[in-house]
Amino acid sequence: MKPTKNNLNIYSLTFRLPIIIWQLLFFVGPVLFMVAMSFFLVKNYRMTEAFEFINWTKMFSKNYFWDSYWFTIIIAGTSTLLTMLIAFPASFTLAFKVSDNIRRWAIFMLIIPFFTSYLVRTFSWYVILAEKGVINAFFSYLDLGPFKMLNTHIGTLVGYMTLTLPLVIILQTVTMANIDRNLIEAAYNLGCKPKSIIQRVIIPLSKTGFIIAAVFCFILSFGDFVAPFYLGGSQEPTLPILILDTTKSGQQWPRAAVVAIVMMITLFSIAFIGIMTAYSKSFKK
Amino acid sequence: MTTKKNNRRNFLKLSGATALSIPFVSRAWASTVELNMLAWYGHGEPDIVSEFEAANNVKFVPKYYAGGDNMLALIAQSPPGTYDIILSDAEFVQQLNMAGYIEDLEPSDYPFDDMLHEDFTKFPGHWANGKLHSVMVRGGHLGVSYNKTVISEEEAQSYSCFWKPEVKGKVGHFDWHLPNLGMMSLYKGNGSGLWDLDNKKWQAVQDVTMSLRSQVGGYFDYGGTFNSLKNGEMLAMCGIGDWITGVLEKDGAPVGSVIPKEGGIQWTESYCIGKGTDKVDIIKKFINYMLSPVGQVKSAQMAAYPGFCITKAGRAALIEADPKEAKRSHQMEGMPNDPIALINDGRIHYRDIPKQQTLEDWNDFWSEYKNA
Amino acid sequence: MTKEKYLNFILITYLIFIFVFIFTPIAFSVIFSFNSQRFPTIPLGNFSLEWYIKIFNDPGVWQAAINSVIVSLVTCILATFLGFCTAYSDYRYRFKFKGLYLALVLLPPTIPLIILALAMLAWLSKIGMSGQLWSIICAHSVLTAPFAMAIIRLRLNQIDPDLESAAWNLGGSEWATMRYVILPYCKPAIISSLCLTAAVSFDEFAISWFVSGLNKTVPVIILEIVQGNIDPQVNAIGTFVFFTSMTLVITAQIFFLTWQMKGKNK
Repeated sequence: MKPTKNNLNIYSLTFRLPIIIWQLLFFVGPVLFMVAMSFFLVKNYRMTEAFEFINWTKMFSKNYFWDSYWFTIIIAGTSTLLTMLIAFPASFTLAFKVSDNIRRWAIFMLIIPFFTSYLVRTFSWYVILAEKGVINAFFSYLDLGPFKMLNTHIGTLVGYMTLTLPLVIILQTVTMANIDRNLIEAAYNLGCKPKSIIQRVIIPLSKTGFIIAAVFCFILSFGDFVAPFYLGGSQEPTLPILILDTTKSGQQWPRAAVVAIVMMITLFSIAFIGIMTAYSKSFKK
Repeated sequence: MTTKKNNRRNFLKLSGATALSIPFVSRAWASTVELNMLAWYGHGEPDIVSEFEAANNVKFVPKYYAGGDNMLALIAQSPPGTYDIILSDAEFVQQLNMAGYIEDLEPSDYPFDDMLHEDFTKFPGHWANGKLHSVMVRGGHLGVSYNKTVISEEEAQSYSCFWKPEVKGKVGHFDWHLPNLGMMSLYKGNGSGLWDLDNKKWQAVQDVTMSLRSQVGGYFDYGGTFNSLKNGEMLAMCGIGDWITGVLEKDGAPVGSVIPKEGGIQWTESYCIGKGTDKVDIIKKFINYMLSPVGQVKSAQMAAYPGFCITKAGRAALIEADPKEAKRSHQMEGMPNDPIALINDGRIHYRDIPKQQTLEDWNDFWSEYKNA
Repeated sequence: MTKEKYLNFILITYLIFIFVFIFTPIAFSVIFSFNSQRFPTIPLGNFSLEWYIKIFNDPGVWQAAINSVIVSLVTCILATFLGFCTAYSDYRYRFKFKGLYLALVLLPPTIPLIILALAMLAWLSKIGMSGQLWSIICAHSVLTAPFAMAIIRLRLNQIDPDLESAAWNLGGSEWATMRYVILPYCKPAIISSLCLTAAVSFDEFAISWFVSGLNKTVPVIILEIVQGNIDPQVNAIGTFVFFTSMTLVITAQIFFLTWQMKGKNK
């Protein structure tokens, strides 16, 4: 059935309106208010309503703001790339090499982490990655190490992956499992090598799902405060850490709002480009 | 046989029911008064408040903040009267007062004649226009916190030990600009003028801080500070003191804190009564309880982080009840590191906000430093 | 053929390794919760129930658990309702500004939680709604509705295009068709959506910490302990919550599977 052309009656509005009202109240409202707040002034620890550009010019003129900005983009990008690559063989195995039953259980297992507190898992990593921690204890049996992992980018990336890896594997697996097996079979019968089947059949057909997984991964890493702070030791600080720091300088919420808006615009753009590419119907050879 | 079985089943049922209802029994008292408390983590935990709760049929509902700015934000965004009792760092009392968030207090309600030091009776910022706004209940000193296996006690007598090659990449910061930059200011010899820096001195403080950057291994909140000192991830820590290392020391970690020759900083925690509360009497009673010998001992032994006693009777009670802890924290007259003696010697400075710069300036530099 | 076997072996090993990575922190969290040490390190201390006794005796933790259950239950119902309405509107209708409409729904997850939290606090206190349990519920439903919408939309995609119109041709009203055709068809998606949105809401701490005032949820208590003086109570709480929610999910799963089987046998 093709979507029906717009006809406004009680039935259609019942389904269309709730979300509009709800999002206006509790999503558009807060976001717009935050934009307004970025023009407010702070005097003696108290925010006063105003319309000044000083917060914007101040933040944009700070080198540390731009350092944080690019660092956050790079580390979140690295995390996305690594997570996608690390997830792929696992998802591939789950999609093509195991029975439906095992796949169902595997996906179920991958949902389990969502039921444990991310903070608690991070706290565990702390003890596992420490110089006197579990991994280095293992290495010392082999007369290796100790390796410094906490308070470095490795720590941050491990933290990001704790958050994103299960989700990315689920999305990749579901996407690949939905590919029509006949196409792969056909390519195989036509003499395609496994490598080129992956390159020419599987990846193009899973483009949408893969891009969406990557976008999600990037968004989650970009906005996460816990991993870079607790496992990365704020070396260097990412934008979410900068937001918290900014609020520690005598109620500078307006400047924190500036950082927040820049983050939002960045993520909107990336999500938009991602979704556009994901659903574009390009037929590459 | 059957009766036995039945009994057992009944017993299981009964114990199951009891187990399920235990947590709710405490709230079954209909007349229990709830006191909303805004404080640093630990002040509303059972080890501090449970006896008072039981004796007075009240129940504390704590909301924990992580820093003075955080506290101000929470009060600012809540309707007046939300918080009945507020624990504030001393330097933020002025802000609370100016914003009209707290009630005036009656000085004669509190044991000012029993204070260990006269500064505590007239604590800066707690009085305005002859009116009292807040009562100090505990304090602690910030200095050099270090791992004893790599830094000797002699070396720790100066902040210069943070620059030791052996601790490269192993110096941690408690992630707040104020205490860290205050220490750097002391290291530059600003002494009691540590918060009052003209441009030249402020620049010098920034320069010396920057020179520490390559030694730094991370920035932490309290949880992270505890963990990284305990597992040896960090070997020296800037911006903290005995209230952190004391907890770890009791747990067997080879760490300690000293007040170096350049001087140390005091954090001070004070209770205020929230504006608009209708529970003034019971809060007054609680503040007095915390200032009483029993309360002072609890505060000195607090599970989350210890603070030293500020009343004479409190200190005497601590020495009586827990001589080991009194000795460990030097809370005995005649000990060279007695916190009160340190204050008298002029080696301790109360934490404050910058006089000639704004907090934003300090925070800007702090962000720059972290990014360097 | 042996080459493929060899390859399969490597892939399966890799998969197991990935699962080890994902489950290591969970496993250690469980171990630390039974460990006597105040600050967990290697080697471990003695077996101890100290942390469980502590949280069990703390009425604050129980209250938080009740709050968390209320918040996640109400949130999952609200979000699934909103998500279903939106998914159905998207599936069934074309209308002006549909792109904008969908953007409105799908954007919230692209905003980092910490920003959403900040904006929510400022906004809710502006309109006098902060510090309540339902402040968290409002915020969480905005956050999770897109997930509900995505799951239900996928299910609607699989519907036989003629099913709905066939029902109308047989004389069913739109409402009756919704009740007897669309809703039953979406049932599995609705149940998954309820579970997922409840799970997201149950573990969310940033927004909850900001807007909850004195009404703490479990993740907020964990955050306070982590920031304050980190002790294995967080592991005990985490483990307890984990096993409770897992029991519920597995029960639901088994219940759901048997119910599906019965349906097939008919």
